[in-house]
Amino acid sequence: MSAAATTDVRALGLDAGGTMTDTIFVDGAGGFVIGKAQTTPEDESLGFARSVADALGYWDLAPDAVFPTITSGVYSGTSMLNRLLERKGQRVGLIVYRGMEDTLRLEQGVQTWLGYSYADTLHVVTHRHHEPLVARSRIHGVGGKMDRSGIEVIPLYEHDVRRVVHELLAQGVDCICVNLLFSWRNPAHERRVAEIAGEVMDETKRSVPIYVSSMVCPKRGDFARLNTLVIEAYAAEPSRRQLAAVRETTRELGARFDLRVMASFGGTIAVDSEQLVTTLVSGPIGGCLGARHLSEQLGISNIVCTDVGGTSFDWALIVDGEQQITLDPDIAHFKLNLPMVRIDTAGAGSGMYVRVNPLSKRVEFGPDSAGSRIGVSNPQGGVSTVTVTDCGLVVGWLNPDYFLGGELQLSLDAAREGVRRQLAEPLGLSVEVAAAGVLELFESDLKHHLETAVMGQGFEPADFTLLSYGGGGPLHVGGFSEGLGFQDVLVPSWAAAFSAFGCVCADYSYRFDRQIDMELPLDAPAEERGAFVDKLKQIWKQLELRIVSEFAQSGVASSAISLTPRVRMQYTGQLNDIEVEVALDRLAGPDSLVVLVDEFERLYGRIYASAARSPELGYFLTLAVMTGTLPVEKPVLPEEPVQPNATPEAARKGTRRVFTRGEWTETPTYEMDELAAGSQVRGPGIIEAPSTTFAVPAASVAELDTHRIFHLRRA
Amino acid sequence: MHTATTTVSSIGWDRQTLREMLVASEDAFSSTGHYGACERLEMKEGDPILYEKLHSRVRGGVVSARENAKRIAASPLVAQMGELCFSLCTPEGDTLALSTGIIVHVQTMSEAIKYMIRHDYETNPGIKDGDIFVNNDPQISNVHCADVQTFVPIFYEGELISWAASVTHEFDVGASAPGSNSVGPINRFEDGIDLPAMRCGENDRLFADYVGRCTKAVRSPLYWTLDEKTRIAGCHILRKLVLGVVADHGIDAYKQFVREAVEDGRRSFVERIREQLVPGTYRASVFMDYQFSQEAALPEEAAVDELFHVPVKVTVAPEGRLDISLQGANSWGYHSFNCTPVAMRGGLWALLAQTLMSNDKVNAGSTFAVSLDLPHGSWSNPGHHLTAHGNSWLTLVPFANALARPLSRGYQSRGYVEEVIAGWPHGTCLQGGQLSEAGVDAAFSNLEICCLGAGAGVVQDGLDYASCSWFPTADMGDIEDWESSEPLLYLGRTVKQDSAGLGRRRGGLGFESLRMVWVDMCRVQSFGEGLVACQAGLFGGYPAPSGYRHTMRNTNLPELFSGRQPYPVADWEPGEFDQPDLPLGADELRDKRSSTLLARHHRHDLYLSVSYGGPGLGDPLARPVDAIQRDLDADTMSSRLAAAVCGAEIREEGDGAAHVDAVATADRRDELRRDRARRATPVREWMQQEREARVVPRDVIEPVARMYRSAMELSPEWAGEYREFWDLPKDFVY
Repeated sequence: MSAAATTDVRALGLDAGGTMTDTIFVDGAGGFVIGKAQTTPEDESLGFARSVADALGYWDLAPDAVFPTITSGVYSGTSMLNRLLERKGQRVGLIVYRGMEDTLRLEQGVQTWLGYSYADTLHVVTHRHHEPLVARSRIHGVGGKMDRSGIEVIPLYEHDVRRVVHELLAQGVDCICVNLLFSWRNPAHERRVAEIAGEVMDETKRSVPIYVSSMVCPKRGDFARLNTLVIEAYAAEPSRRQLAAVRETTRELGARFDLRVMASFGGTIAVDSEQLVTTLVSGPIGGCLGARHLSEQLGISNIVCTDVGGTSFDWALIVDGEQQITLDPDIAHFKLNLPMVRIDTAGAGSGMYVRVNPLSKRVEFGPDSAGSRIGVSNPQGGVSTVTVTDCGLVVGWLNPDYFLGGELQLSLDAAREGVRRQLAEPLGLSVEVAAAGVLELFESDLKHHLETAVMGQGFEPADFTLLSYGGGGPLHVGGFSEGLGFQDVLVPSWAAAFSAFGCVCADYSYRFDRQIDMELPLDAPAEERGAFVDKLKQIWKQLELRIVSEFAQSGVASSAISLTPRVRMQYTGQLNDIEVEVALDRLAGPDSLVVLVDEFERLYGRIYASAARSPELGYFLTLAVMTGTLPVEKPVLPEEPVQPNATPEAARKGTRRVFTRGEWTETPTYEMDELAAGSQVRGPGIIEAPSTTFAVPAASVAELDTHRIFHLRRA
Repeated sequence: MHTATTTVSSIGWDRQTLREMLVASEDAFSSTGHYGACERLEMKEGDPILYEKLHSRVRGGVVSARENAKRIAASPLVAQMGELCFSLCTPEGDTLALSTGIIVHVQTMSEAIKYMIRHDYETNPGIKDGDIFVNNDPQISNVHCADVQTFVPIFYEGELISWAASVTHEFDVGASAPGSNSVGPINRFEDGIDLPAMRCGENDRLFADYVGRCTKAVRSPLYWTLDEKTRIAGCHILRKLVLGVVADHGIDAYKQFVREAVEDGRRSFVERIREQLVPGTYRASVFMDYQFSQEAALPEEAAVDELFHVPVKVTVAPEGRLDISLQGANSWGYHSFNCTPVAMRGGLWALLAQTLMSNDKVNAGSTFAVSLDLPHGSWSNPGHHLTAHGNSWLTLVPFANALARPLSRGYQSRGYVEEVIAGWPHGTCLQGGQLSEAGVDAAFSNLEICCLGAGAGVVQDGLDYASCSWFPTADMGDIEDWESSEPLLYLGRTVKQDSAGLGRRRGGLGFESLRMVWVDMCRVQSFGEGLVACQAGLFGGYPAPSGYRHTMRNTNLPELFSGRQPYPVADWEPGEFDQPDLPLGADELRDKRSSTLLARHHRHDLYLSVSYGGPGLGDPLARPVDAIQRDLDADTMSSRLAAAVCGAEIREEGDGAAHVDAVATADRRDELRRDRARRATPVREWMQQEREARVVPRDVIEPVARMYRSAMELSPEWAGEYREFWDLPKDFVY
């Protein structure tokens, strides 16, 4: 964090979490400040304004001196997700085909256990239904049906539509959603429902917005599509009003930029975008975007991103400079259909409780966590069960007098006593051996997650650089990266604020996709193949037009947008596809279809064992995808010259006893901010900062580069 | 079988043959009572951290192998419903870690490996690095032929150090009737393709002749092919994982770990039994039926009505053992509903994994603490190599359901009331074929059946439409996906009113799908909950309704559609489509049969598929008024049942809504209790009446008499108990 005043502030990132609102301001030289304030859920703009004041206080600047020079501002937050979890959304009315009115309460069965741990997935008495977002009384059926080919089986019963729209309006709904089976194949019924609803609203002089699935989410899979549609209406619209208020606050402070919102697919979109539901999950995406930015700046193509937080461990891959996308995420027990940066998560954070099972005498982590209450070492925390952090204190990794820069005084004695009674004695180990063992086990769990993430996609760790961030990342990275053989292990000195940093690295972009379901006519006559190529290009063109129109709303010219077409593709008959980027210039003429095949086969053989290749089945295109991007100015990385005396005396804080490799070792400690470029810390060593602690393991060395990024490698 | 000898080519540990290892392992267990003779868990006690590290890596690896590999499949059963499972086994075939999914196969895959070892596959056909083996033979080790298993041996420096095993549930295996649980086969030859533990590939590739044979023998070769690739790819992922563990920690640590992991699984299960159950003997019986006596298509020996006896006796030993006996089960028959002992063990295991031992340490260790006594010659252990098993789930599900009550009584006695679950019902599995241009059935098989109502608990109502006894990860699947592979469309998928068994806590609700045929002609069959409910209430709770069938042919739906007239989407009162006043057509079939042979249907015919509700717990008169009100408000219980069974006094409000009057209900319930007391007789007297009116004169229908006759023949032990219970002469027979 830079404490020097600056007049060249370029970017603003805002992360409105459930409890705290963080803001980050980045200047032209890569310096930044972070402000914090309590989130104000009723009107987020209030918390935002306080957070801004807090941040700029470090630079001793007033907001109106800063906002006019900012070129890019990005919002991310959990308010939409919280609205969903707390069931505080709009009063939605829903129209479906008759016979489908129970879809939400049935939850397809699957939502009763989706997102559960392995043990709870097995344990049937723990499975639960959730309160539907739309009450059954506001879900109405209308006669009609389409089949899988889009052929009308039952005509739309228009009198039903009129009746139920009247009923919904009488029920006082805020909006109406329409989701009919196979509407992505033939949207005629949905469109007609919307028309009739419009007529009824004209007649009754009461108008509410209508959301139609073939517009919001034109994709196969009725249940996930319904959830996605309903969440857009239920939670996204109220959030849009919040966002508009925050945007207004930025304008009042002199902003000339248009506030954008972080979307789950890894771009940022305008507050007025038609698909705001894609911003449902934005917070965890930040770290990945920051990693992608580093990958560009440092010329690293493959990165494993890792984030150790208080309650969870998140990981994601950047491959060839791009984050990976999943299309069917489940979030908060909802099965959804929207593109999201593929981030895997495990309930393995540093605040996790550690227990020895009295029956099996085996160490168990969580699943619950002390969160911000830290552990038994926190006298004010009221925690009685030992956490991973307590173990970190016992072995000497953490400094009880310098937690959060000394804001919170921790008790080493309490930690030792807790570990002794709860872990060491039941396991028959000494206190420090038990604590070190727990940490080793915790880190080896994290390591195995990374190993399966990388190898499960057909890669080797040697193909990747590991990037560690999050408050707990630097403490454990030495352990969870050891022995995997990554090319390099990076720890930015601003690891604790890396997600916020990542937010301001996001490009302005839109991603639209559409179900197409077309078999690749490889054996067809040239004419047919040529027509196929033309049709595909035409579909991309339609998606492009939507993107251009979204950008136009923010005054961006189409010439400034860079477009990337993709298809989702599978062997004919399969149910899971993979995303293939298409070089448009190579796709021309009847013989060019092989371009798609080659790229698909290359990816498929890597992801699944090559024994799984099945070209004899033919190829099938499921989705056409188009992404339009407007690059925005991103923070530059700090640049400092290498110092001759890179580890000045001021950086040496002293020594303390750390339990390393089975024995107590006097271990030097350092102040992170005082280390200069070129500094090398040999392990065992501890580098402390107010927001994080970096444990350098024995036989390793951490070297600070000119961008204030540590490189951890074997000594 | 000849005696195993150690040869230079032995592939087991320390130059033993696999057979020697298996024999030694079994001897070690029987002489020490510990798996692998692990009286001490040296690694776990000496280096608990390393032990846990290995455990979490192996377990995580098996789970991720499943998640990655299932994306290869094309079949909705595998790719979407998750009907697959992976496990990692010791060289002797004992599972040390398994994924989620169809966990019933922890047992079957183990036993198939043991079969290959016992039959000296090491010598012929040989077991080499890179080989692939396959099995789907129920007589060797399977639940039914539609579950196809793949095995890949994992070698390290010439030693077989583990097996990777996987299984997927196939849409069709070429049985005489299409579908994955065919009803109709009466012997092995009609059950479909048989792959009796075969070596089917080497150097990580399948033999071309094997592939040709399989794809010619099934109705859905595309699904078959991709499912097989799914299994093989997952096994190869597992092999890579294991070799990685060995590279990191050494072969000795791995060998020590696999032994201890199984023994640790056994111990943790034993502890669980001691902690959660009270020692003693528990009993529960359920029944299952089918009615084929009018089926002209079947030969005489198969065209019968049959009742299955599923009598479960569970003995919980104080030292933490479960001895489960099915003495009293009746004879096997000429139908596809027979089970094999290994299927029974699998069904038992699947239930235990979801209840008594549901944690992340489950593995085959538990099987060493459980014995299963199955009378030879019964449906649970036919002992004949030509019996049919294509649909053993019809009887296996009632077996698992029956176990829920003994276990729950044990939890209740120990105070683990949160674990109590009254049981589960069966569903109706819709399957069949659609004639292709070549006149051959393209099979379909709908598994939304796994979303049933669970039985009630002590602290909560049963889970609605999302649970079954055989599979923890219940999922109905997308309608758009089912309609893409089936010749019937969904007119409705709705919560079924009054489908829960009532009680102080009610069972979970079921749901139903009303299907409309959307091709010119197809053939449809189903199986499931029959005339007799295969579940029962607990502690005074009611069972859920039993099964029925409702179909309609030659409907006038086209006219209704074109005239924009209302059409049915559900069947609220059993046998009454929700538009009862509509003239739907003449050929309505409504009976109490859910297991049926293939029947032809044509466009616009209606077919009802019901996933039933769960049984209740406790006296329905004790059901809280607000709980009844909730069900009335949600339309999940009718006023009629609330009044008749729960004693609710219901007023109709001005807007037509039903309101339970708490005061009047309390009065009504007092009256009902007084009435009960007036009608009650001491059990001893009731038994005397029953004995004289029913048992002694043998006043039962023929299927019941036949069931008891064969049960008594097959088990003199159970016959003795039966005669003693009813105070009958020693030579009493049916």
